Amino acid sequence: MPFTEEELKARVQKGYIVESPEEMTDGYRKALAIQLTVQADTELMSAPSYWMAARHAPSANTQVSAHAIIQDELAHANIAYRLLEDMGISKQKLVYEREPHEFKHPYGFDQPLDNWADLVVANGFFDRAGICLLSDVHRNTSYGPLKRALVKVDMEETFHLRHGEVWMRRLARAGGAAKEILQRSVDWMFPMTVEWFGLPDDRKRHSGQLEYKLKGLTNDQLRQLWMSSTVPLCERLGLDVPAHFDEASQSYVLDYPFPCQYDASEKRWLFEEGRITWGQVFQRWKGRGPMNEIYVESIRRSRGQVSSWLN
Amino acid sequence: MEEAVYDVFARKQRSEPLRHIGYVDATDDALARVYAWKTYDEENWFEMCVVRRSHIIPVNRIDGPYAARATGRLGRHAVEGR
Repeated sequence: MPFTEEELKARVQKGYIVESPEEMTDGYRKALAIQLTVQADTELMSAPSYWMAARHAPSANTQVSAHAIIQDELAHANIAYRLLEDMGISKQKLVYEREPHEFKHPYGFDQPLDNWADLVVANGFFDRAGICLLSDVHRNTSYGPLKRALVKVDMEETFHLRHGEVWMRRLARAGGAAKEILQRSVDWMFPMTVEWFGLPDDRKRHSGQLEYKLKGLTNDQLRQLWMSSTVPLCERLGLDVPAHFDEASQSYVLDYPFPCQYDASEKRWLFEEGRITWGQVFQRWKGRGPMNEIYVESIRRSRGQVSSWLN
Repeated sequence: MEEAVYDVFARKQRSEPLRHIGYVDATDDALARVYAWKTYDEENWFEMCVVRRSHIIPVNRIDGPYAARATGRLGRHAVEGR
């Protein structure tokens, strides 16, 4: 290990690019491993979530585009797991030997996508969140192999977002039942994505990811970035979202108690019950959502069978 | 099911150099070619190659993912002189 923690933090802040695990300090390695695990698990768990929803595709062409997105997500997961493997962390163990609740994807990918509107809003909201997070990492990360790998990922996530936004526009313009079901998807997925960005900055005292320059923006900055695209989009489409731009603070402000509790069985946020603590949010996340075990199982179910044929 | 790592190199145009664009895990060379072509389909590549990572011979570094076969003073010197 050629650097102390403080030396490496100072170097990366001045633009030094880490190229190999041998150059990492323990702190850097730990922070990067957590970031890559969240990234890999999120991409991986989006695949079964989108795959089950793709059954609701309204035509052959929409089936093709939905499955193209799923293929991309699996490739993105593979890239992040490969980077972990190059750090000596086993992909086999991460994908096949953890309990479902040990995966580190966001709570949104533990929820069922029950119809075509849910899928396209997931593309419009969740993939937009992915772009906000990963394009920031792409611009700022001090880890060279990740910076290069994200060229492909960013390009493809932009296609997913376009797919989501084009279809949201189409459903909104159709009006009637199409717009109603779209609004229902927006109602549960907007607060879900706002929560995805995690603890507010005033509650997060210490960020290894910022100190080691593994990302550039804070949680609140990323949340604002997401809302700055998503809120105007929804307003243009005539969709209600519980947030607005506040002229005085020049920022987006939420119109509901944040954070708040979620009824997963009803797919409904309990605004009327008021604000809860972040401790309660973490407890809900750790308990995982209704599709957690089903999604993990769907990724792994054929592994043992095919291996037994081949060996 | 034993898989090996393959690095994927490609270029979009005739005049460009081959560039490292990613990696796949595969049980043999034939599957590595298929996986690379289907996985890295974000561009209309002019040329794509896969190289089994264990076949890459590093010249001047003894760290990083290609360093398993690195030996000798040249590599150590290069790293120390970074």
